[in-house]
Order: sequence, then C-alpha cells, then structure tokens
Amino acid sequence: MDWLGQKRAEMLMQVLLLASAVAAFVVGYVRAEFQLMLLVYAGGVVLTALVTVPNWPFFNRNPLKWLDAAEAERHPRPQVSAGAAAVGKKKSGKNK
Amino acid sequence: MHSWTQRLLAAATTAGVLLAAACAAASALDAFHAPTVQAQAHVTKINRFHKQINGNDKVTLTFNVSADLESLFTWNTKQVFIFLTAEYENAKNSLNQVSLWDHIIPDKDLAKLQLEVKSKYPLIDQGSSLRGKTVQFVLHWHVMPNAGAMIRDRMALSEFTLPDSYTS
Repeated sequence: MDWLGQKRAEMLMQVLLLASAVAAFVVGYVRAEFQLMLLVYAGGVVLTALVTVPNWPFFNRNPLKWLDAAEAERHPRPQVSAGAAAVGKKKSGKNK
Repeated sequence: MHSWTQRLLAAATTAGVLLAAACAAASALDAFHAPTVQAQAHVTKINRFHKQINGNDKVTLTFNVSADLESLFTWNTKQVFIFLTAEYENAKNSLNQVSLWDHIIPDKDLAKLQLEVKSKYPLIDQGSSLRGKTVQFVLHWHVMPNAGAMIRDRMALSEFTLPDSYTS
C-alpha cells in the first residue's frame, strides 16, 4: 500500500464506520429495536473491514518513485569539512 | 496504516468507540422519556395474622394487582422489575418497607397486569405493632435498559388497615 493509499484507507475507514453508526442508530430508533441497531452496525463494521483492511489494488495506484542511482552520482551530497571555516564547500570527490 | 494488522486494529478501535457513542446516545434519549404508569392494588383477603413465637407479627395476604406499565418500555428497555411493598411507621422505625410480591416483565406485550396473587413474602414486623396499623402499598419499578444505567421509580397505591386482633 502506497502513501496515498494509506491516507485513503484511513479516511475511508473512519467515514464508513461513522456512516454505519449513524445509520444503525436511526434504523434502530425508528424501528424501536435495539438489537436491529446492533445488527446494522455489525454489518457496517464487517463491510468497512472488507474494504479497508486487505491491500486492494485500489490503494496502490501511486507507487513511490525512487530516483535512479545515477542521479546520486551526478548530484553528490554536500560535505562539511571538520574544523574548516568554509562551511558548505563542495568536494568534487566520490561519495563516502 | 502500512500493514493489514495495523489497519484491522485501527478499524476495531474506531468501531468500538463509535459503538459506545451509539449506546450512550440511546441511553441519553431515555432521559426524555416520561412514562405514565397506572396501577392499583387492593387487599381481598387476610389469610393469616398472628404473632410468631419470637414475638414478631406476621401477616399473609391475598390481593388484586392491576397495572398498565407499557409506557415504561422504550426501544432501549431490556426488562422491567416491579415489586410491591407495604410501608408503615412504628415506634421502632420511622419507615418500615416490607416487600410482599415481585414480578419480572420481559416484554412490552406482557406489561398489562390483572392478577389476584398471594403475597409471595409474608409481611413480618420487627416487633408487634401491626394490630390496627394502616399500611401504605407502594409499587416500585426498576427499568433495566439495554445500554445505560438502571432507572428506578415508585408510586404510592392504596392504604390498608389491618384488623385490631389476630386471626389465629
């Protein structure tokens, strides 16, 4: 699951659970059956778990793109020479 | 949220919190429910009125109970427990409460009562003060909800005066 997929999964989980809780309460109150509220809510929880827990392909549409290893050689990391006043001076050497 | 176990635990925790919230809301709605109970109880017969060997007065009664308790039931009611007490004052105690009869109503369909019953539990005094005593019948009810705290209430019914002498 990629980063965006994780965000979506959490959002989806919270929205679905809240919606099923509200729907269950309304149905239970209107039909005047406490047990019906519990059943509707249990259904909502199972549905939410099925949608958000497995690693569906839907959550993997934005894979993380790593830079090619060659890029690191072209743009080496700035090196700080210990004790020297010239901070941030670049060394055109190899990466250590 | 990167692993399925993490997502499952997060969903379970959120579901639990929301279930608690729904139960709290159901219980809170009961606070706005105002029941109108109608009930009567009349003694039809004094089966026995005597002094026990230890000096305490003891009475066994038969009485009619009629009650309409349907209004106690809401969608959040599991069952209703009712009991009838005799209440009186004597020199020893400023309030005596003696339970005579009780009953469990499991459903709204069974909440209309029309019964003639013997006292399940005898009326026994702490002492010997029941001759000529006027006792007050009180109906108590405990509404047990599916979610939330038990609701208790009571209602004074008729008064009844015991005879001036023992029957045996």
